[in-house]
Amino acid sequence: MITTTSSRLRGALLHGARGLMLTGIIVFVLFPIFWMVTTAFKQRIDMFILPPQWIFKPTIANFKFILSTMSVGRWVLNSGLISLGTMALSLLLGVPAGYAFSRIHFRGKRILLTFILLTRALPPVVIVLPFRVIMQWLGLFGTRTAVILIDTVYDAAFTAWLMSGMFESIPVDIEDAALVDGCSPIQAFWRIILPLSKPGLVTASLFTFILSWNDFLFALTLTSPETATLPIGMLSTYGILNQGWTYMMALGCLAIVPVVFISLLLQRYYVSGLTFGGIK
Amino acid sequence: MSALACTVCIDLPKGWTVISSVRDYFNTGKHSLYLFIIPIVLYLIFFFLYPVIYEIYISFFDYSLGSPKTFIGLQNYVLMAHDVQFLHSLVTTVIFVVSAVGTELLFGLGIALLLNYESRLMNVIRTVILIPTVFTPLVAGLVWKALYNPDLGVISYYLRVLGIPIGRGLTVERSTALFSVILVDVWEWTPLIVIIILAGLKSLPREPYEAGVIDGASARQLFRYVTLPLLRPTIIVALLIRSMDALKIFDIIWAITGGGPGTSTTVANLRIFQVGVQQLRIGYASALSNVLLVMSVLVGVFFIHILYSKKYGGVR
Repeated sequence: MITTTSSRLRGALLHGARGLMLTGIIVFVLFPIFWMVTTAFKQRIDMFILPPQWIFKPTIANFKFILSTMSVGRWVLNSGLISLGTMALSLLLGVPAGYAFSRIHFRGKRILLTFILLTRALPPVVIVLPFRVIMQWLGLFGTRTAVILIDTVYDAAFTAWLMSGMFESIPVDIEDAALVDGCSPIQAFWRIILPLSKPGLVTASLFTFILSWNDFLFALTLTSPETATLPIGMLSTYGILNQGWTYMMALGCLAIVPVVFISLLLQRYYVSGLTFGGIK
Repeated sequence: MSALACTVCIDLPKGWTVISSVRDYFNTGKHSLYLFIIPIVLYLIFFFLYPVIYEIYISFFDYSLGSPKTFIGLQNYVLMAHDVQFLHSLVTTVIFVVSAVGTELLFGLGIALLLNYESRLMNVIRTVILIPTVFTPLVAGLVWKALYNPDLGVISYYLRVLGIPIGRGLTVERSTALFSVILVDVWEWTPLIVIIILAGLKSLPREPYEAGVIDGASARQLFRYVTLPLLRPTIIVALLIRSMDALKIFDIIWAITGGGPGTSTTVANLRIFQVGVQQLRIGYASALSNVLLVMSVLVGVFFIHILYSKKYGGVR
């Protein structure tokens, strides 16, 4: 009798401890995000009151202010163009390569794949210096193209690796059947294999977009004020708006909302990308 | 494959036999799939290999942007060996990577075990904890910088209310600045480890547990002698992915402390950026970069080696 009571008590305690820990984790994860969003809707004056005000009258004045006084439109456009450009170029280079890697075997394939994967380990700061010199030779320094070109080094390699795993999971018999039916190999790839590998394509598109959207160092080193992206724009306001947190957080919301939204919408694909295509 | 191809080919005209198998076609045919690989290889040679080789080459020169370069042999490396600031930044990098990744692994393992059962609530939590990983690192840094602000920051305020001494502020005191940037990295990237380990847990075989229970093992023993060994390969992958990325740390530190106070949070990446991009001493910065390059390539090669020997569960 006593043992059942004590084990029941222990169970309840464990359950409680578990709930407490989960709550702690959620608070830790969400608090900075919550703070960013609420601050974006606060009046400037509310920022200077201690203790911090958690209940306040929301305002969209911050968004109005940043949209009317800063080149937010241009930053968003630049970020969007660079991300879309990187995505397109990475898919163009990475998807066919991934297909080839999954279908043919040749000497040196492993060395080549290692070379491609090593891009992931390369610290951006190592490559950005020589890259900047090369861009100056090519007359591309300060352009969006320069950022697209360097982002694609990482993203095309990532796409090739991800897609080769995707294609490997599609049996080669499917193409053989298509060939027997009179398709050419290119047609088989285009009409049958590509549609079948939609999950991989979604993951690759999503991830290359996010990686490029979130980039800071490359844009910092390679863009001019004309081609500045959102993070660079945020930084440039930093000096002007002394402790203008409300404005900065409004900008932060604009930077975060698209990527958070699409990654939650396509959560399964996002997780797959995060783990190198390990979780399908 | 050939057996299958032959049975199919019997009724076909002669030319068809060749392309009845894609592998045969591409390995022997003239329309080779090699054409699919050439663009990315050329691209990476030009924009990845060439910059790295150029960087190694230029490290033997005294070269600042806008001035002529002169060959000085190993002088940059000799200079580096006595560059206290850089050597210190290497130490800071190692401290950062080891403590950030170590903490993330510990928390990640714990949280994954907490979340490892199916319910609607767990699904929601698993989704919510992913949000930090999507955060633009610079934005995350700026948000935390504001939270840490010594005068008006929410964290500073509540720590003071709780009576915890934080001096002039967590990011302002040399003793806590590195810790405060590590915490942000832990916030952003622990969820990645959680997701990887959850996938690993899901793919574990059931039999060892049944055997363990029959043999009368306690929950703790099951974890120590069954779960952990089976999970080891997954943990190694998670560790390597995070170590490679932590070695690249830049945005968060740039946003929160800019490397200060003093040089207490100046990691190697930041130091190289200061020398190369701000002071434009390209030659010397390249020499510094090579040290980081060697470290990253070592971790990377080890990671790829593990990735090939597909021994671990869940994560390919």
